[in-house]
Amino acid sequence: MADPTRLLIVDDNEDILSTFYEFFNSMGYEVKTAVDGFVALKLLRDKSLFFDCLITDLVMPNISGVGLISIVKKEFSHLKIVAITGYGDHPGALASEAQADVVLFKPIDLFKIEDTVASLLSNDNKNPKE
Amino acid sequence: MSTPLIGVSKSMLKIKELINHVANTCLNVLITGETGVGKEVVAECLYLESTRASQNFVKINCAALPETLLESELYGYEKGAFTGAHKKRPGKFQTADKGVLFLDEIGDMPLSLQSKMLHVLQSGEFSPLGSDQDFKTDVWVIAATNHNLEESIRQKTFREDLYYRLNIIKIDIPPLRQRKEDIPSLIEYYFRLYKTEYPNNMGSKPDAETLVRLCNYSWPGNVRQLQNCIKKQMVVNSWEKIFEELTNDHPDGTFENVSDSAPRFSASLLHNVANNDRMSIISEFVDLSTSSEKLFEDISLKKIKKLASDKVEKEVITFVLEKLGWNRSKAAKILKISYKTLLYKMSEFKVSPPVK
Repeated sequence: MADPTRLLIVDDNEDILSTFYEFFNSMGYEVKTAVDGFVALKLLRDKSLFFDCLITDLVMPNISGVGLISIVKKEFSHLKIVAITGYGDHPGALASEAQADVVLFKPIDLFKIEDTVASLLSNDNKNPKE
Repeated sequence: MSTPLIGVSKSMLKIKELINHVANTCLNVLITGETGVGKEVVAECLYLESTRASQNFVKINCAALPETLLESELYGYEKGAFTGAHKKRPGKFQTADKGVLFLDEIGDMPLSLQSKMLHVLQSGEFSPLGSDQDFKTDVWVIAATNHNLEESIRQKTFREDLYYRLNIIKIDIPPLRQRKEDIPSLIEYYFRLYKTEYPNNMGSKPDAETLVRLCNYSWPGNVRQLQNCIKKQMVVNSWEKIFEELTNDHPDGTFENVSDSAPRFSASLLHNVANNDRMSIISEFVDLSTSSEKLFEDISLKKIKKLASDKVEKEVITFVLEKLGWNRSKAAKILKISYKTLLYKMSEFKVSPPVK
């Protein structure tokens, strides 16, 4: 692919956020990060930026991951959404209800997340050709 | 009349910005904060900025009603549903349809009603007491509480699943003592409000020293307590009495000890006040609640100059005309403008003699 895939990664834990950033950066993705759904929403609404995929934690202050997913589904419907949660079943169920493409549960291997992202985006690329 | 969200502190500006960004999403909101910080004011702002502003804003206090009454208030009942139900009555979920349902003190809702509430939020359907019919409801739920719901979940007095369903967007309003910069603008606002409501009251505004004392008080009852103080000041007109009452009636409130570091501390506070004055002056002409990018687009010196000079000119023209018994040619001479210009300005600023 000529253009690198653009990811928006959202987590209120800054250590996790920087780990994700390093990892996906080294895998050739173009990565932006946000510490909660509100910061993420501002990035998404910034017209100079464009994203292919959103990876988001669920339990966060201001705008939660579930809130962010609902807004993204309405306003940026092309975006693929991977939700990651460490808070038991309730937020995960709400994320599925808000139509996240995939919901993953912590702890989770970074390569598994990368696999998920890659396959979500390649499905998307195949569909129009078929 | 609804109260605007007053404040120039970072946290309040952020709340205004958040409201701006989410008011049209109609996602469930949970507003948290101590008693008197203004949770209902935030709920009203969300409502007024949303596309639902023309519909109903229905409020119910979950702590004020006994369990059975709360249930019938929320969902309504059919005739004969229980003793005394002489006729059918719609519930809040019905009156708030297409509008906003504000659930105040949600943390005090009994567990049995929490499960029913969860069901309605999940399915968007409810049935009135004594009815076997399900009704669809499209309400935007905004809930508020002064409880720490995470703690209530641990103590099993609040359902975890309901918490996550409400907590899609969370607005936490910090207590007033953590945002002292807001105190001067709040005082200014309530003074103006009570002055228009009761024009004959003579209560004087705080001088610089009193203002520092007011800013150093811990305000355990937050904005509501401050508001009551100002209301009282309008009547008793003695800040000393107000401070006395604060000490006597609120043993939990404290005045920060400023004696040790007095010069530095109060100087920095006065600097804050000056900074605050600046923000409150600017906020008269520019909407500071928008995002910073939008804000910078809005700030045009030319535009602000016009707004500011119009405002002052209007006051000066009114002042002179009132002094002269609305004699316009004399006023024009004193103001050193032509008669024609005066008439033009009077109509532009909508200045006209009082109607008797």
